[in-house]
Amino acid sequence: MATPMSVVRLPRGPNGHSRGFDPTSPRYQALAPSSIQASTNGCLKEEQRSRSTLRERFLRSLIAMAGKTVDFTMYERVSVTATFAASDIDILNFQVSHLQTPLGIQKEALLRCPDIIAYTFNL
Amino acid sequence: MRQTPLTCSGHTRPVVDLAFSGITPYGYFLISACKDGKPMMRQGDTGDWIGTFLGHKGAVWGATLNKEANRAATAAADFSAKVWDAVTGDEMITLAHKHIVKTVDFTQDSNNLLTGGQDKVLRIYDLNKPESEPLEISGHSSGIKKALWCNGDRQIISAADDKTVRYGILLKNSSLSISIFVVLKDVFVAGGDDFKLYKFDYNTGEDLESYKGHFGPVHCVRFSPDGELYASGSEDGTLRLWQTTVGKTYGLWKCVLPEELGSENSDSIYGTPPEVKA
Repeated sequence: MATPMSVVRLPRGPNGHSRGFDPTSPRYQALAPSSIQASTNGCLKEEQRSRSTLRERFLRSLIAMAGKTVDFTMYERVSVTATFAASDIDILNFQVSHLQTPLGIQKEALLRCPDIIAYTFNL
Repeated sequence: MRQTPLTCSGHTRPVVDLAFSGITPYGYFLISACKDGKPMMRQGDTGDWIGTFLGHKGAVWGATLNKEANRAATAAADFSAKVWDAVTGDEMITLAHKHIVKTVDFTQDSNNLLTGGQDKVLRIYDLNKPESEPLEISGHSSGIKKALWCNGDRQIISAADDKTVRYGILLKNSSLSISIFVVLKDVFVAGGDDFKLYKFDYNTGEDLESYKGHFGPVHCVRFSPDGELYASGSEDGTLRLWQTTVGKTYGLWKCVLPEELGSENSDSIYGTPPEVKA
């Protein structure tokens, strides 16, 4: 019986936490768009500041939304109401409970963010 | 030496298409299309997962990388083809179609994308002007399974469900660049519904070797750009990497001489990889 070929290790699989594309990898550092596209008048610093403020506000809004009743407007003229629980790290899915749909009330559900057009809630 | 395939897990449904990029300063890369809707990009020589392209809402039937591996394109059952930044994983362009899209292919300069699918029409998009209408090529009488640029992007070869293959010459567009293809000419590999991989002699068509390993029909097989390995995608949801020349030290494979197997510093080297639960 022939000796099986030796292997140093197995291929690494997905890490299950995020979608990958590690920003600390050498390839990312070298090839990714070096900074956010600044507006033509060149005030990059100010634009970065605005962007971080907006981003922080958005993330805080997600925290504020936890436990509140939210109305979601989705594609295909669908509107649903649910109690928001959490978002995943890439803001791709929203965990909701007590989702009121035309088919009935779903105790626990995941809403896909790309399917959502807008949402509103009271602070 | 016996072939030890490297299994890349991560997909949860059958792997239906895969493609390699060209050789870049960071090595070469692999993309796999899966019915779970989440195409994945991996390092080509090791199979290490790099990232997953998230956004399609249906099974992904076709996936490809451009030569420089900075762009990816995918074709899906959600009636769209998408172009992605293959460095950040971000979605760049969505090209809406009227039916399931099955195949995508970049030109060598990455300026144009060829798509084909169940609506039986081939389309050529200008990726610099994605909103403009694509060039449409009709002719197939059944859904298109695969379409590729060939001969320096001057010709298109397409295969359809009715088992016909069409070979068309693109007459108009003079802005497409000319390039040279390098083909591994001694050996070709094919995967079968019997779960095995077969290696044939390109010149004589002789069946050279066959390898077992997959737990389902093999849907797609491609050689790496340097010809040192080939990757297969299967109904069992895995990709496997196979050495072209078994016994060579390459990627994760390491040639260990019989004397070395007994010594203390072979702790990190093991003969048969331990079973990994899916």
